[in-house]
Amino acid sequence: MEVISVQNLHKKFRDLEVLQGINLSVQKGEIVSIIGPSGSGKSTFLRCLNHLETADKGSISFHGNYIAKEDSKTNKAIYISNKEILSVCNKLGMVFQNFNLFPHKSVIENLVEAPMIVNKKTRAEAEKIADDLLKKVGLSQKRESYPFELSGGQKQRVAIARALAMEPEIMLFDEPTSALDPELIGEVLQVIKQLAEERMTMIIVTHEMNFAREISDRVIFMDHGEIVAEGTPEQVLVNPEHPRIKTFLNLVK
Amino acid sequence: MSTEIMYQVGGFILSGAVVAIKVYVATIVFSIPLGMLFAMGKLSRCKPLLWLLEGYTWLFRGTPLLLQLFFVYYGLPYYGIVFTPLIAACVTFVINYAAYFTEIFRAGIQSIDSGQYEAAKALGMNYSQTMRRIILPQSLKRVIPPLGNEAVTLIKDTALCSAITLPEILKNTNSMVTTYFEIKWYFFAAVIYLVITLVIIQVFKYLEKKFGYYR
Repeated sequence: MEVISVQNLHKKFRDLEVLQGINLSVQKGEIVSIIGPSGSGKSTFLRCLNHLETADKGSISFHGNYIAKEDSKTNKAIYISNKEILSVCNKLGMVFQNFNLFPHKSVIENLVEAPMIVNKKTRAEAEKIADDLLKKVGLSQKRESYPFELSGGQKQRVAIARALAMEPEIMLFDEPTSALDPELIGEVLQVIKQLAEERMTMIIVTHEMNFAREISDRVIFMDHGEIVAEGTPEQVLVNPEHPRIKTFLNLVK
Repeated sequence: MSTEIMYQVGGFILSGAVVAIKVYVATIVFSIPLGMLFAMGKLSRCKPLLWLLEGYTWLFRGTPLLLQLFFVYYGLPYYGIVFTPLIAACVTFVINYAAYFTEIFRAGIQSIDSGQYEAAKALGMNYSQTMRRIILPQSLKRVIPPLGNEAVTLIKDTALCSAITLPEILKNTNSMVTTYFEIKWYFFAAVIYLVITLVIIQVFKYLEKKFGYYR
């Protein structure tokens, strides 16, 4: 079953073509990693999926329902109303590079906020889900702490739990370990691996090549706003054919 | 000067403090919410509203408060609008201070990292939920120090109302000084202002502490 589908996505920042016709379809339970050099458009692409960026051209659909549909004449992306976008996009969980936890709320309040306000769950229901998730990410003892009291790795694990609390159908990870000290990366990757074992549908933008190779069903290499190569981790990361991937992999080694 | 007269004079000047505090409370109660509202207007995409608020803050921050007081109390009667000194003072102060608070809140809201909006949106929260639950509470913490500054300035600005015959601290002090030729009443007035500002400073220290539970 197709969860998300993107056709011919284009995005420009002033004169810079950040995305030049991206096509991607992700099936339920599939884990897709997007790799590539800085400025290749990976993050912008991910952010287009839940409307943190607005695409200029192309279509985006979620379970076959269009969020943005390409106009047949002009190719312009025509979006559904903001209200409809919100109701679709809360099915997409997002984890940011910089965590973006709510600093004025304790860990538990970070987790119950959206389920209560957006999904109209009662506090008891929301706290039940939140406590289970905190246990899952190994942070039950930090329930009442505030974000400033947590390490980067702990913050990111809370951020993952917060996104999961909305019971998303797909998780988007935007360089989840890039802002972390090296010794804290492992604990975050461990949580993502656990989600992979449960077959959570995920799209992960990452610079962690070993991690991408290990957990992905499919790896996408992006450069200059285009998908240069796409395939199994072996095809893209182990035996790359494309010279640009070879250069990139040598650089990040 | 007999003790009895001293008490009378002191009491008369203190009654001015009550008037000053009335103006003070009215200004705080009305201009802070107004400022918050106007700040959101200033951040909206509605251009005419933006220009209107831009003109408003320019006018009221760009002209002397004393001039505004004169205009409201002595000027508006020419257009058939007559206020008592107290109402004229309150109206002028609310509009004037709301202009400063608008800018303080605008800066406070704009200082919140865009990641907070993005996180809220990614969780499905709409604009008003995001503002109410995520952005405004965080900006409130950041605007407390500049609000405290304004709150201290405000009590001293009430002295300007003596120019529109409002019997507040300075006006009453002046009339006592000229009646009895004793300048010590100026010191008395100064002490009243100092006591009031001390209270205000303590309130804001408490607020800063209250919001200090997170960073």
